[in-house]
Amino acid sequence: MALRAWCSVLGLLLASVAGGGESAYVNLSGETMAQGRAIWLANCERCHGYGVAGAPIPMTPADWKPRLEQDQATLYRHAIEGFFGPRYTMMPPRGGNAQLSDAEVKAAVDYMTGLARHYINQQEQTK
Amino acid sequence: MKVMSRKKWTAVAAVAGLCTAAAVSAVPDVANQPVISPKAMADALHVVMDSDRTVYTRQIVNRLVKKDKVIEASEHFEDDKALVLPAQMFRFGSELVAERTEKLPDVAFSYSLQSLWPINKQNEPKTDAEKEGLEYVADNKGENFYTVEELGGKKYFTAVYADTAVAPVCVSCHNDHKDSPRRDFELGDVMGGVVIRIPVQG
Repeated sequence: MALRAWCSVLGLLLASVAGGGESAYVNLSGETMAQGRAIWLANCERCHGYGVAGAPIPMTPADWKPRLEQDQATLYRHAIEGFFGPRYTMMPPRGGNAQLSDAEVKAAVDYMTGLARHYINQQEQTK
Repeated sequence: MKVMSRKKWTAVAAVAGLCTAAAVSAVPDVANQPVISPKAMADALHVVMDSDRTVYTRQIVNRLVKKDKVIEASEHFEDDKALVLPAQMFRFGSELVAERTEKLPDVAFSYSLQSLWPINKQNEPKTDAEKEGLEYVADNKGENFYTVEELGGKKYFTAVYADTAVAPVCVSCHNDHKDSPRRDFELGDVMGGVVIRIPVQG
């Protein structure tokens, strides 16, 4: 197995062991992503890091593959306005923090979807 | 063609009956064999409790209160003609289980919803194991706590599972309640724990 693939497996193992520890939430390049990561850690990680109340976990590719098939505008709208899932799971508006601006919520969504894509790519590379 | 006499038939029937009785008595009493560990039992009980509570929260409270807005959920559900809160439903279930298991000596387990920051003082931890377990699940999110404790000369396997703020109503109720000792909960925070206690030998 190529070194890169081994690194990917190690990365996935570390992520699963971390169980939501900050090490699992990789830094993605760009200032917007850094801002989004900080907002996400402060507001979204408590639920999305652990799957609380059915929140999709970005380190779990199966959770996010179907969601990433929607356009980003839909994901923004769900995060800003709130959203009821098919079995009445509930994403509260702005993650329950009414103080967050639209731009801040969008930055957090960008980071979370970036994180989900990161772990989906890692899984693809190990196949 | 030879026909068996009545005596022979009786003898054959008696032998067959004895063989059947022997076979039945040789079958192990599977229903009463201790094949599940206390930890697996506690985990199984918790999965059932948590799933029932999740279904109530989603299919009843989220649907009728949040989405369709046809009824409220309230701590004072009788006065307000409202739904019981998910935590109340869970607590009422544990009280009914306690009442029913008093009459079932073989079903000796108990469970309760407790917190280090309870609105009602009677829901704070009472044993060292409960306190240690509640502190552990609050400090180690995503993990459960297991231990063995001795109470009144009897040994118990005690498991503690995190109770998390899964909906805005959990947060607002605890943060706004006049009797709440903590008012900075946020969605997704560990607010307390489910304590399951099962008697063990030894």
